[in-house]
Amino acid sequence: MQHRLLRFHGFAFIKWRHVWSEEFLALLLALFVFVAPASASTRLENRSLFMTSSEAGKTTSYTVGFRYMTPTPINSVDMLFCVSPIPYEACVTPPGLDASAAVLSNQTGETGYSILSESVNHIVLSRSQIAIPASTPSSYTFDTIKNPTDTSQAFSIRLQTHTSSDATGTQVDFGSVRGQVEPGIYIETQVPPQLIFCLAQEVELGCTGTNDTYYTDMGQLDPALTLVAKSQMAVGTNATAGFAITAVGTPLAAGTNVIDGLTAPTASQAGVNQFGINLVQNTAPAIGGDPEGTFANATPTADYSIPNEYKYVSGDVVASSTNVSLMKKFTVSYIVNSNANLHAGVYSTTITYIASGRF
Amino acid sequence: MKHLKSIVLVAVVILLGAVYLLPAVPANAQSSAALSITPKKSYVIEPGKSVDDTLVIRNLDATNSLDLTLRVVDFTFTDNGGTPKLFLDPNTAQTTWSLKSYLTVPETVSVPAGASKTLNISVKIPANHGAGSYYSAIVYSAGAPSGGGNVGLSASGVTLVFTQIPGQVTENLALKKFGAYDDSAKGDISGYQSILDKQPMTIGYTLENTGNVTEAPAGSITLKDLFGRETKITEVNPTGSLALIGQTRTYTACIKLASQNVDFSGTKTTASSCVSPGLWPGYYHATLDLFYGQNGNLTQEITGAASFWYLPLWFVITFLVLLAIIIIVVWRLYVGIRRQLTGMQSRRSLRRRR
Repeated sequence: MQHRLLRFHGFAFIKWRHVWSEEFLALLLALFVFVAPASASTRLENRSLFMTSSEAGKTTSYTVGFRYMTPTPINSVDMLFCVSPIPYEACVTPPGLDASAAVLSNQTGETGYSILSESVNHIVLSRSQIAIPASTPSSYTFDTIKNPTDTSQAFSIRLQTHTSSDATGTQVDFGSVRGQVEPGIYIETQVPPQLIFCLAQEVELGCTGTNDTYYTDMGQLDPALTLVAKSQMAVGTNATAGFAITAVGTPLAAGTNVIDGLTAPTASQAGVNQFGINLVQNTAPAIGGDPEGTFANATPTADYSIPNEYKYVSGDVVASSTNVSLMKKFTVSYIVNSNANLHAGVYSTTITYIASGRF
Repeated sequence: MKHLKSIVLVAVVILLGAVYLLPAVPANAQSSAALSITPKKSYVIEPGKSVDDTLVIRNLDATNSLDLTLRVVDFTFTDNGGTPKLFLDPNTAQTTWSLKSYLTVPETVSVPAGASKTLNISVKIPANHGAGSYYSAIVYSAGAPSGGGNVGLSASGVTLVFTQIPGQVTENLALKKFGAYDDSAKGDISGYQSILDKQPMTIGYTLENTGNVTEAPAGSITLKDLFGRETKITEVNPTGSLALIGQTRTYTACIKLASQNVDFSGTKTTASSCVSPGLWPGYYHATLDLFYGQNGNLTQEITGAASFWYLPLWFVITFLVLLAIIIIVVWRLYVGIRRQLTGMQSRRSLRRRR
């Protein structure tokens, strides 16, 4: 094998040395690394957008600020309003936006511009003077631009500077600024998000009815027995961020004597002090039920979804959804075990299930 | 003595009258635990101004009234996801981003069975208040149940209230992690994968927010395979999820997003979910381009790159079998050619000797 490599080396670098030397090849490789494309554009720096009002659908003023970077004479600035800020992606006009009546009311830094053309989502600024832009920040204020109406997504203005006076030809610098509109307080243009939640010993899937029982007597504590109980809750939301259900409350206690909650998923064991819950069907002991409802988004938290293993830590999230979720019903199983040395008393607790939105 | 008789007589008459005239109220009337609330409210309020708004609470129980106690608590994040961690203990110190002092809500509300009630709330920001994000939560508690038993159940609902005070703020998001993500990890950093045997459904990115405002980045992700074919993900934060102050938040974006219109409690709503993106096995390179920035502040950009291998078991087995076949075929060819060459050389040397 070695002699073949030597033969190749001899063929390539000794016989053909007059054509390419090893030094020449090394230089060629170094050039690939260090030579930058000559026509690369630079990003405009210190880009910003200030909307006098960020209320959805309102007609207001926009101030676009940035710093020119390339020391090349600039005669026009192209401003394209799109949902995506990425320059090479197709431009989708932000719903509700209207810049067709924009008026250039103020300019600072690099000045002398006027509006050459404008449409619903496009403004071209032009000037006749040929000047290399200063490195100080510039800003351009436009009045009577109508804000987008979609509050669920941000929008952007794609900026390009050009040497030509009509924003044609190769761009010099580029960059995007980002904006976001907020819902108006009194005008609801969209279906308001709602979170539906119900809780009882037994509930209907759609929270259309419950058995109005909010407590359960688990019976007499016995070291040889596992006491069990169950409750149900149904939840759903049209909020795009979903929901979370948190269980809060002390474990079972009688005065200062406490049957501690299981801090990790653990199997039920009679004769050992244990208090735990889970949200799935179990066989040991036979209690509970799997979540009901067609939508897959809402699920019990991992620690509370292991059959025959129970846990209870106050403040834990027991079920959640990260998206819109149609109504889902969860059955909560409770187990209590006690040892023979447990102090006598009536052991009880109240567990509060808190349904909240997510951010 | 005569005086005492008169007093007793009057007292008895008043007592009997009260018992007869006043409506009977059950001592342990049970409140409903079925409610519908608004999960989130967002406002932009300038210093010195206020906003008056309403919250609608619906009692879904057709027989019992819904008696709620309202209070405002602070919250932060639970983990890398969007679940709030509520500071329910009244003795908890107020957070630096607390809206408690500026948010006014009624203390109690009673909603009749099967009815709705509109609550007035207001947020008033003092003049000269600094810019930034402020947030707290309104907790609606139905109260502890009556009737005894070992385990009592109580239902509560929460509305998260966010307020943005415009002005110059400190914004700083740092990219901590980016790549193919297993969504079942629910925001945990362990969900990132560089070699996958199952087709990836989501791309994740984890951002650390060290600024003094909440942030909701926007942008795009480009996924490129070994042959240069591109898949664009334009909805990198489709739910407008926030990175809270001090939070390291993991965002996930579906490589292919499918939306469907569903009926939720009588209203049409759009539900989105990740579907199979139809990726071929092989090497993938992903690039991230994010933008963030509050109104009037600099627009800032975050870029990142990551790569991963999608290698399902069937593909690995097929590849190894094919590779073995190629090696065997090449080896046999090599041996065959070598034999022929050796044979030719032997024949030549034989001829030379002759």
